[in-house]
Amino acid sequence: MHRLLDYILWLPLLGALLILFIPSQKKEAIRWSALGTTLLTFILTIVLYLGFDQSVAGMQEQFSVKFPWIEQFNIFYSLGVDGISLPMILLTGLLCFLCVLSSWTVEKSVKAYFALFLMLECSVMGVFMSLDFFLFYVFWEVMLIPMFFLIGVWGGENREYAAIKFFLYTFAGSVLMLVGMIALYFLSGKNVDSFNILALQGGKFSNEILNVFGTTLSFSKFFFVMLFIGFAIKVPVFPFHTWLPHAHVQAPTAVSVILAGVLLKMGTYGFLRIAFPIFPEASVYFKEAIAWLGLVNIIYGALCAMAQTDVKKLIAYSSVSHMGFVMVGLAAMTIQGTNGAVLQMFNHGTSTAMMFLMIGVLYERSHHRWIVRPDGTKGFGGLYTQLPVFSIIFIISMFASMGLPGLSGFISEALIFLGIYQEFTTITVLAVIGLLIGAAYLLWMFKRMFFGEVIDSVKDYSDMNAREIFYMIPLCIAVIFFGIYPSPVLNIMKGSVGSLVELLGRFQ
Amino acid sequence: MVNLGLNYLNSLSVYVPEALALVVMVGLVFLEATYNHNEKRKMTNYFSLIGLFSIIVVLFLNLSNAPTTAFFNAVAIDPFSTLMKLMMTLGTIGAIYLNSVTKEINLNSKNEFNILVVGVLIGGMILASANNMLTLYVGVETLSILSYVLASFKRSNEMSSEAGLKYSLYGGVSAGLMLFGLSHIYGVFGTIQFTGLVDQLNQLNMNQTLVLIPSFLLFFVGLGYKIACVPFHMWTPDVYQGSPLPVTTFFSIVPKLAGIAAVMRISMIFLGGEGLFSTSIIGLLVVVSALTMTVGNVTAIGQQSVKRMLAYSSISHAGFMLMGVVVLGQDGVSAISYYSMVYVFMTLVAFYVVGFVSDHYGNDDFNRFNGLIKRNPLMAILLTISMVSLAGIPPFGGFVAKFNILSAAVNNKFYTLAFIGGLNSVVSLYYYIKIVRYMVFNKEESDDSILGFNAVNRSVLVALSLPIIILGIKWSGFLSITEKAIISIF
Repeated sequence: MHRLLDYILWLPLLGALLILFIPSQKKEAIRWSALGTTLLTFILTIVLYLGFDQSVAGMQEQFSVKFPWIEQFNIFYSLGVDGISLPMILLTGLLCFLCVLSSWTVEKSVKAYFALFLMLECSVMGVFMSLDFFLFYVFWEVMLIPMFFLIGVWGGENREYAAIKFFLYTFAGSVLMLVGMIALYFLSGKNVDSFNILALQGGKFSNEILNVFGTTLSFSKFFFVMLFIGFAIKVPVFPFHTWLPHAHVQAPTAVSVILAGVLLKMGTYGFLRIAFPIFPEASVYFKEAIAWLGLVNIIYGALCAMAQTDVKKLIAYSSVSHMGFVMVGLAAMTIQGTNGAVLQMFNHGTSTAMMFLMIGVLYERSHHRWIVRPDGTKGFGGLYTQLPVFSIIFIISMFASMGLPGLSGFISEALIFLGIYQEFTTITVLAVIGLLIGAAYLLWMFKRMFFGEVIDSVKDYSDMNAREIFYMIPLCIAVIFFGIYPSPVLNIMKGSVGSLVELLGRFQ
Repeated sequence: MVNLGLNYLNSLSVYVPEALALVVMVGLVFLEATYNHNEKRKMTNYFSLIGLFSIIVVLFLNLSNAPTTAFFNAVAIDPFSTLMKLMMTLGTIGAIYLNSVTKEINLNSKNEFNILVVGVLIGGMILASANNMLTLYVGVETLSILSYVLASFKRSNEMSSEAGLKYSLYGGVSAGLMLFGLSHIYGVFGTIQFTGLVDQLNQLNMNQTLVLIPSFLLFFVGLGYKIACVPFHMWTPDVYQGSPLPVTTFFSIVPKLAGIAAVMRISMIFLGGEGLFSTSIIGLLVVVSALTMTVGNVTAIGQQSVKRMLAYSSISHAGFMLMGVVVLGQDGVSAISYYSMVYVFMTLVAFYVVGFVSDHYGNDDFNRFNGLIKRNPLMAILLTISMVSLAGIPPFGGFVAKFNILSAAVNNKFYTLAFIGGLNSVVSLYYYIKIVRYMVFNKEESDDSILGFNAVNRSVLVALSLPIIILGIKWSGFLSITEKAIISIF
């Protein structure tokens, strides 16, 4: 039990190695081993959830793993789990399992695809578990390599451009983080705790100053901004979001799901785990700015989504909009706001994954994603009469994404609004407009695709098969269940969020 | 007289690696003269490889020896210089092996290549532990003159001849400038020895300092040209592209590391103190380092020949290593040692793959790498590892090297330089990934596999790649070696 995190982390990599030894002609064997690995990993994350002690606010003693890695730099191989990382680990485990199922139809270099996919799962798990800054950084970066190939080889027609843009953008962000990490190491005295994320927390660097670019700046403010850019690129926060539509549109379905469902959350997780607690006074100083950037995300993302004619791009921009809610919720630094933000991270993970999976299902039949083709004709029409099962599941995911009461998106958005109203009244009012636009673009998209005249090409689409229905069911259950009864997730994170907000409150 | 003799014998006992290298070189000359027919050709390769491996063993055993001087302070032997020599010898072995398995250099002159590279290696070794101006100059010249011949090795090829000429013209001018600078430094101190210079530096008056600054810069020209830092880098791309591939491989490792070792030692001696002289030179070196990285990286982006791209990338890596130089002190020395350790393996892997591919097609255009992953997966994967590592992405050695250098810079408050370095690795990622793009994303032009890439070569390439991964994951052991690599100032 006490090495459970180790197993969850390394099992996918083991699976990847196993796949490398299966001859590439045996496609079925490869698929089943990938499925087995991800299923086992998911089961282990459930075991982790069951063994999790909700009354503990900090890292769970029973699960933490710590060994020296590089003694000279005081780098440790140190893993742990708390109420903020557990939902993310669960989400990763679930989505990776479902993604393998949805990737069953991949025929191009099956072996490499699943091997890279499992490596991706390993590195994402690593990011959510690391308690050592260096280890965190290594996983954060390693993730780029499988991602680059997954987009670049199995993606759409403009995949190369998307893959490179994604790679360069994220790498640029993380390099800034690297310098910040090194600076923190030396400033905190090069001791055993200098890469320890937990030990660095608590605003120890409030009064330090820094000489850089020929001027003197506050250490914490400067490096908060550097870390902010690094994480903001991942989220992505407004001026750094331009890689996202390309990456999403070009990536194969399963990779889009992981990208939207889990990878974007790594950015906000970085704020929660690193940027906010290590530089609390700087985060309080910049909170207004972060909230406004979040608002721009909400409105701008929604408006961009409205203008799209490619349905996948539309969902990609809706992610920008939804992550804006997370940012605003985090910036409020109140209990409800942060709870709402973490819950939104989880709920957006499930609902957007549903959307991308559904679009993937549709794409396998239509081989295009145009709502309106560039020449002005309709891409889809009357899907509702042709594909009833598909339509019902699509409606569930759409309403979950829209935040309809009774479905998961509503709870988290409501919590966020509750949390930010006191702090940023103007932003709250404006953010509601974002919600409206969100409803508008989704319903409009639905109207254009599912209602109206049945166009010819739609007539020979078959409805969802058993495999496809099978992997949508867990997500349907999740969005409905957590929409009615969100307490399981809220209870896990209550303690950890509480202590974070309390820490930030000391610097307000 | 007896004392003098004893002193020489003593000195020789710490000078075994250089002496061995000389034995190898002379032995090769004899072998070439005696056995000039083809069947015996393999023998010369074996001889040089065995000789160089024994040098490696000796250097490895000497790695933890106490620092000492030899030949009346003309040569300083310390763990740092020993480590750098070790890396240079490894690079030489790599070049000799690559030469023996590729067709770049024609059969008749393969042995001459071996003789010359061992000669350059000797020059590099002298340079790495030079402790007075004369030894330094001798080292630079031994290194250079033989390099000119190497550059123009493909006699019938226009580009190669041009490379040789360019190299020698540049080299001649910079050696002259260097000597001019050295003569002024001699004028200021009244000695050619570096020993005891540190004390004298602290007692210089204003006039002497004002003479010393420009003369040190002239002196730096000679070394700057060897490590190809901006603005003395202009020769590199043409020479690297024109030279035969084993020579390019060799050039991007041995002279570079020798130059870096010398620059590091000299900076430690001259710039250790406070005051106008050291602050102004360090300020300049910071600018040179930043410019070298940036110019190297930005120019590499547009290249169509992989060899030329690697040439520019090696310029930017020199800039990175210079970042360790400006730090001065043990941080910088360790970081540079680690960097060169990783750099040797990354460069060798990259050039090996490029060597086999260009051997197969007769050129090294990016298009020749199209779809390599389908035709030769192992080659493509190893080249990808090397490229990703060169860009500094974990879990590979290049990242740890970058981390070490950035740590050294940040620890000594060179934040701006650290940021420039970090952003440069983003720029470099673009062109390193470009070749991966050709290999993995593009459709293959033909489906023939690369000739000459047999099981032996495969295992050699894997053996060269393994250190890249090990140096990136379990690096505490290597770090303890580089931490002990100190420069002692006598």
